[in-house]
Formats: sequence, structure tokens, C-alpha cells
Amino acid sequence: MSGPGSIVSLQNVGLRYGKGREVLRDVNLELQRGSMQFLTGPSGAGKTSLLRLLFLAKRPTRGLISMFGRDIATLPHKSLPPLRQKIGVVFQDFRLLDHLTVFENVALPLRVSGKKPNEYRENVIELLGWVGLSEYADAYPPVLSGGEKQRAAIARAVVTQPELLLADEPTGNVDPALALRLMRLFRELNKFGTTIVIATHDTTLIKKATSPVLVLNDGQLGFEG
Amino acid sequence: MTRKSINKADNVAITTNSLMPRTQMPLRTLMISMTVMCYLASLAIGALLLITRAVDDWTSEISGEVTVQVRPTNDAKMNDKLAQAASILKATRGVTSVDILDKNAGNKLLEPWLGNAEILNQLPVPRLIAVAIDQKNPPDFEILAKKLSETIKGASLDTHRRWQTELTRMGSNLVWLGIGILALITVSAIALVIFASRSALDVNREVVEVLHFVGASDKYIARQVQWQFLRAGLQSGLIGTIAGLATFFLLGISSSVTSSNGLAAASYSLLIGTPDVTFSSYLLFLLVPILTTLICLIAARLAILRILGNAI
Ligand SMILES: Nc1ncnc2c1ncn2[C@@H]1O[C@H](COP(=O)(O)OP(=O)(O)OP(=O)(O)O)[C@@H](O)[C@H]1O
Ligand SMILES: [Mg+2]
Repeated sequence: MSGPGSIVSLQNVGLRYGKGREVLRDVNLELQRGSMQFLTGPSGAGKTSLLRLLFLAKRPTRGLISMFGRDIATLPHKSLPPLRQKIGVVFQDFRLLDHLTVFENVALPLRVSGKKPNEYRENVIELLGWVGLSEYADAYPPVLSGGEKQRAAIARAVVTQPELLLADEPTGNVDPALALRLMRLFRELNKFGTTIVIATHDTTLIKKATSPVLVLNDGQLGFEG
Repeated sequence: MTRKSINKADNVAITTNSLMPRTQMPLRTLMISMTVMCYLASLAIGALLLITRAVDDWTSEISGEVTVQVRPTNDAKMNDKLAQAASILKATRGVTSVDILDKNAGNKLLEPWLGNAEILNQLPVPRLIAVAIDQKNPPDFEILAKKLSETIKGASLDTHRRWQTELTRMGSNLVWLGIGILALITVSAIALVIFASRSALDVNREVVEVLHFVGASDKYIARQVQWQFLRAGLQSGLIGTIAGLATFFLLGISSSVTSSNGLAAASYSLLIGTPDVTFSSYLLFLLVPILTTLICLIAARLAILRILGNAI
């Protein structure tokens, strides 16, 4: 059962793509509000798939998922947008929009929620400074390096100070120094109440942090440390 | 569409790009077909107007002369019956003159078919009364016909109206055909808009996905494209209708070049004639761009909402 402090709760969740094998099996998971944890496991273990369930890109083929106290299986299509606005996502493949500038990409969640550029301009520019993209505010994603794209994707995910942040390999394309800086950004957000799940292969990153680690192995979830 | 404003504090130029960039292709295809459809629709409307006007003209024209036919019967003498009919006719308002055609005149008419007038004298041939009518103030033919046939056995009124009824029937069949064509054009226009909406979403699939993930509602996404559809509809509606009007206009003025012909004259009066006629024509033509714009906006919005509603 989902306790009072839990923001996400999965019970016996299974997921398959089409008619393929089950890529997630009997996953049980409880995320406490304000917690921060890593999600690791070999490539193909199902990390991205698990995150897809959590950012409401997929519904489970079996089991129960409840997020923000709402049962995802029975949630009508119409109620998805307000839930998604509480979730920030860093995609493994960034998913920046090539026809928008870096500034517009980062500001997209705010624009979609109906805010006017005047209201968020300062905040977005400050955030771009934080991730070291000040000079690129006017640039378009195709001219950015992999690491720069990643930082823009992170900035877009955190710009609304979401209640839940899901990051898929957020440090996969940056040097160790920058990775540490981004981790500081995440911890800062976490201090202000954002619940965070970071999927990563980066064991040094995990070792440096003290956060609990979830391990996915062939679709099954275990705990470590 | 790019708007730039300079933020002085940070010297960062902030652009505002449209969220759905790649809709030009489906929209251009849509515009071409929609323009053709609007052209066809205004041709159909013009043809409808011409037909209804023509039928109106033909049927409202009261013939200046009608005939009363009196068949011989056994109960009364022909001359008495003719006199009785003549007195009824003379007493009817709207009748300007009554002329009983004499027997020979009637027989002469029949001679080419029946031969020798001598034989006809022995046959019970009906007699005719020619009746001139005041066209501005015609009598009620129905009442007159009833009165004649009731008081005089074998008398009947012929107003030459049968061919007019035929024309009216043909005219109204053509009108229904025109309405059917307009309905078909409307249906295929709606289908086209739905198709174009689908491809507009398809070419922007990744954008739509990202918009969903950052919390955009379906309505928000639909709003990003529906105005582009509205604009496409308005443009093609106007171009197609103007082309249609130009066609009838050219038809109309061509009457002064070539010898007078009915279609040209009718087209002329449709658009360039007296204001009371042209006003209603233009109103009907104006419906084409208005309906096209509405169809583009509404069908696109509904189609987009429906497609997006099928995601997770
Ligand atoms: N869209 C999809 N359709 C079908 N199968 C998929 C899809 N996405 C992932 N899979 C399959 O699901 C399994 C888990 O994939 P997933 O991307 O979740 O792994 P991962 O742990 O994120 O791997 P990585 O560390 O390489 O990113 C894999 O076997 C993959 O082939
Ligand atoms: Mg992955």
C-alpha cells in the first residue's frame, strides 16, 4: 500500500512492448516524497522502460501504479497533462526540438503551462548560466555538442522545479567535473523538495553520492546499499 | 514566424518560434485542393441561381391568351352552350375579350389532319373560344375552369400551363442535383481537412511527443495548428470563390460581344444586374469562403483532438 509520504508506488508491475517478452517483471517500488535515488543495471535491463512508466509515456501491462495518489491504470487521458507538469524528465536521447532555440527549449514547459516570456525570462537565463549554456541561449540544438545538448535537456527538466525529476543517463555525455556540477544541481533541487530518480551506468558517480541505489537486472528490481 | 526582442540586461535575443514548424507541406496540398473545391462549389451555386431564376421567369409569365373548348353533347344545342360560356367569360374580371371561333375556322385548323371540311361538318367537332387575358390582372384560372366545367357540360379551359409544370419539375430536379453536388463537395472537403490534419501531426510527431511530455494538453497542441488551418481555409475559400465569380462575370459580359444568348444574359443579371437580384447572389457566394473557413477550423480541431486522444 502507498504510505502517506509516498509519491510513487508500483506493485507487481509488468511491462511488455507489443507481443514481445516482458521487459519488466514483478516490479515493486515505493518512492518517498523528497527522496533521491539511483537506478542502475546493465544495458537493456529496463531502466528506460521503468522511467517511461513513471513519466506516463506507457501504461503497465499488469500491476498497479499510483502516482501523486492517483491510480494510473484508471486515469483518464484528460488528467495526464496536469500530472506531467509535476514531472521533469531528462531523456537519454535528449529530445530537444531542433526548430526552437536553446532558450525556447528550456522554457518550453513554462510556455506550455501558459506563462508569458516576460515572467520567466530572467529565471531561464539564470538557469542557462548554471548549466554553462549562457552563450548558447540563441543557438539551435543541431549546432550543440552532445554534452551541451544534455545540459539543455537537464535545464528543461528542472526549469519548473518539478515535484518529481526522472533523469535517464543525465551525465552520460559530460566530463567528470561537469558531471559533479550537475549532480550538485540535482542535490540542490532535492533539498527544495524534488523527488529524484537518476538512471545511470556511472559507478563512480554512484559511489560519490550517498543515495540509495535501485538495481534492475533483466527486468527485475532489487536494492543495494 | 519569428519575433525578436532584446533583453538588455543579459543581451540575449529571445526568439519566439511557432511550436509546430513543419505543417507547410500538408497545408499547401490542402490549399490547392480546397481552392479547386471552392471554385466548383461556386460554379454549382451560380448554376443553381441561374436555374431557379429561369424557372421562376418562365412560370410567372402569364400567357396572354387562353382557350375554352366546348365539346358537343346531346343535352343542349352547341350555340346555346357557346353563348353561355361567352357570357360567363365576359363577366369574369381580367378577361379583356372573348371571341367564339366559327365552325369553319375550327374545321380549318383540323383539315390538315382530318382532310375535307365537308366531312368535318358532319362530325361532332368541339368548338373553340379564344379568350384574351389582361396579363397585369389575370383572372383566377382555377375558379374559372371549375365554373365553366360545372355550368356547361363538355366545356374546359386550356391555359397552356402543362409545359410550364414540366419545366418547373425539371428545374427543381436540377436544383436538387446542384444541392447534391454541393453536399458531396462539402463531404470531400471535410475528408481532405481530416487527412491534412493527420499528416500535419505525422510530420510533427516528435514535437507532439515532447509537448505531451512537458505537460501540454491536447487542446493546447490543437491550438498550435488549428489557426494555420483556418488561414488556409480562408485563403482557398476566397481565391476559389473569386475565380467562380470571375467565370460568371466573363460569361455575363460575353453577351455584349457575341450575339445575345440566354446563359450570358442570365449570368449578367446574376452579378451585374439590378441590386435586389445581385445582392442575394453575392450573399450565397459569400457562404463559400465562410463555410470553407469554418470547415477547416472545426474539422482540423476535431480530427487533431481525436488523434491525440488515442495516445496512452
Ligand atoms: N520501444 C520499444 N519497443 C520494443 N522493445 C523495446 C522498446 N524500448 C525498449 N525495448 C526493449 O526493452 C528492453 C529494455 O530496454 P531499456 O531501454 O528499458 O533498457 P535500459 O536499461 O534503459 O538500457 P540502456 O542502459 O542501454 O539505456 C530491451 O530489451 C529493449 O530491446
Ligand atoms: Mg536506457
